[in-house]
Amino acid sequence: MEAFIQPGFWIFVLALAGIYGVFSLGLQIQYGVGGIMNFGHVGMMAVSGYTIAVLVIKYQWSFWWAALLGVVLAAFLGALLGLTTLRLSGDYFAIASIAFAEIVRYWILNSDDITGGTQGTLAIPNPDGFGGYTDQPDVILNWISDRLYPIIGDEASRDLSMVLVVWPFFFLFIWISSRLQKTSWARVLRATREDDDVPRSLGKNVFRFRLQTLIIGSVFGGIAGVFWALQFALLAPEDFLRIVTFYGWMILILAGASRVKGLFIAAIFFGFLYGATRFLEFWPLSLLSSPERAYLRVFLIGLVIVLLMVKRPQGLFGKRQEMILE
Amino acid sequence: MSDFIQYFFNGLVVGCIFAIAAVGISLLYSVLRLVNFAAGDFLTLGAFITYFLSVTLELNFFLSIIVSMLAGMGISWFLELVLWRNLRRNKAGTLALFLVATGVALMLRPIIQFVFGTETRKFNIDILKTYDFLGARIPQTQLLVLIFASASILTIALFIAKARIGKDMRAYANNPGLASVSGINVDRVVLATWLISGALGSLAGVFQGLVQGQFNNAMGETLLLSFFAAVVLGTIGDAYGALAGGLLLGLIMELSQMSIFFGGVPSNYKPVVAFATLVLVLLFKPEGLFGYRARKV
Repeated sequence: MEAFIQPGFWIFVLALAGIYGVFSLGLQIQYGVGGIMNFGHVGMMAVSGYTIAVLVIKYQWSFWWAALLGVVLAAFLGALLGLTTLRLSGDYFAIASIAFAEIVRYWILNSDDITGGTQGTLAIPNPDGFGGYTDQPDVILNWISDRLYPIIGDEASRDLSMVLVVWPFFFLFIWISSRLQKTSWARVLRATREDDDVPRSLGKNVFRFRLQTLIIGSVFGGIAGVFWALQFALLAPEDFLRIVTFYGWMILILAGASRVKGLFIAAIFFGFLYGATRFLEFWPLSLLSSPERAYLRVFLIGLVIVLLMVKRPQGLFGKRQEMILE
Repeated sequence: MSDFIQYFFNGLVVGCIFAIAAVGISLLYSVLRLVNFAAGDFLTLGAFITYFLSVTLELNFFLSIIVSMLAGMGISWFLELVLWRNLRRNKAGTLALFLVATGVALMLRPIIQFVFGTETRKFNIDILKTYDFLGARIPQTQLLVLIFASASILTIALFIAKARIGKDMRAYANNPGLASVSGINVDRVVLATWLISGALGSLAGVFQGLVQGQFNNAMGETLLLSFFAAVVLGTIGDAYGALAGGLLLGLIMELSQMSIFFGGVPSNYKPVVAFATLVLVLLFKPEGLFGYRARKV
């Protein structure tokens, strides 16, 4: 039980929760407001993360410009996905979006000279032989932990600095998104979710509204990718498997699809599930080897998704009607 | 020419496997409006159970395949009873069905890993023996897979066309309301659909394992999107379409590697050909090869 009471564990959980919370917020806007079932969200995260790594390591860009461009490219990818396939009905779009994200991943996997291929960003060929891309933001993270060190001593870790950077953004985004959902724009979108013809008869361009939602959601996916790249300081193609999108979906349905405010509790629960199967050492987890724990995590996430959908489809904080009217 | 024969043959073999897996997915969609994201892992499960019975327990290979098909049916039956039936009664929406199917896949995968381990496996069959046919190398295993898979495809097609339950399935898929009013037992139809897709999943898994030579527990998962591409290509929900779509996609994927097509697609991009086919079909002909544009898009 020792790891449970160590602050370091919970700090890691919070850092992860913040990153995946922002990721899930993108899905929340897309599904909770626009009714779009995007199962390729992980592609946006991969694009922005890899944009940073490639531009900083290979072309010596500043981290900040690279991060900005990464988010812009994620939005661009969202637009591309939307323009090509958003006219399809729900289940077709869901399948197309998975294919989209998988194409991105295969490209990363097989473009060794740009992305480092299977070996990840450490293998990106670079002129002066250094493989990291976080030097510039690390100055800020170190500055934060240096300020905290006199107060809390050794607990002032990089993870804690990440929490202090990510969570204010997470709260800000939740605030922005909940404001957004009270606008007339969101009301039109909610109407399109139930029935296309009514808003259309009022002269609203349903497709354009949906496309906007998809792009805004992709921006959040891209920002989550920036945070992800910063937290782990190393990217590999297997970090962006299909399952990552379902991490986001788990958080979303746990919170309830239309409940923005439940999101941070659900995100912490996910962070705990993720971190607990990896770090906790007490029985019965101590019987498992570390790859077995990775399976256990996948199993538990599958179990949570199935149980939620069967027993409580509206999530912990949601309204039941929101899920049934689909 | 020998190049063409080689790729064409490979395409036929791969296509037959796609067809068998795709028809299960398509039947489920037509009857339940469910996109079965767990289909890939049923393949893996079938291959691993067959491996366990035929290599570890040294049972007869054909017996092992039959037992693994029964196991696939059993698991599908179990899931129908504890899961899908309840979801239908609760009138679960598209998203709920999607997510539960994914959840099942996420649970099945670790169970396979936990029970059977993560090592790469190989059936106890001579994979090196090849025949020479007009300059193309035809491995014995692939030839056997082609023969048995074609026989299976014919059986499936006949079953859907002629068997009582096959007709009920088509009737129900066509018009659920009318079918249940005219006395078709809905639960029986749905159960039959699950059993068929479970059996076909295992069978396709064994064939795929044989063709690959060696396989690990990511086998089915990797192929899932290619199956979806086959299903969409042959019109989603159309069983015969899925058979044709599977064959066609297999041929497209293999023939795209021929050097006359812009130097050929590198073989590590083969899955991308399937994804791209999927996206292109969705873009330009979302109703598939055999559908008509009745669906509102």
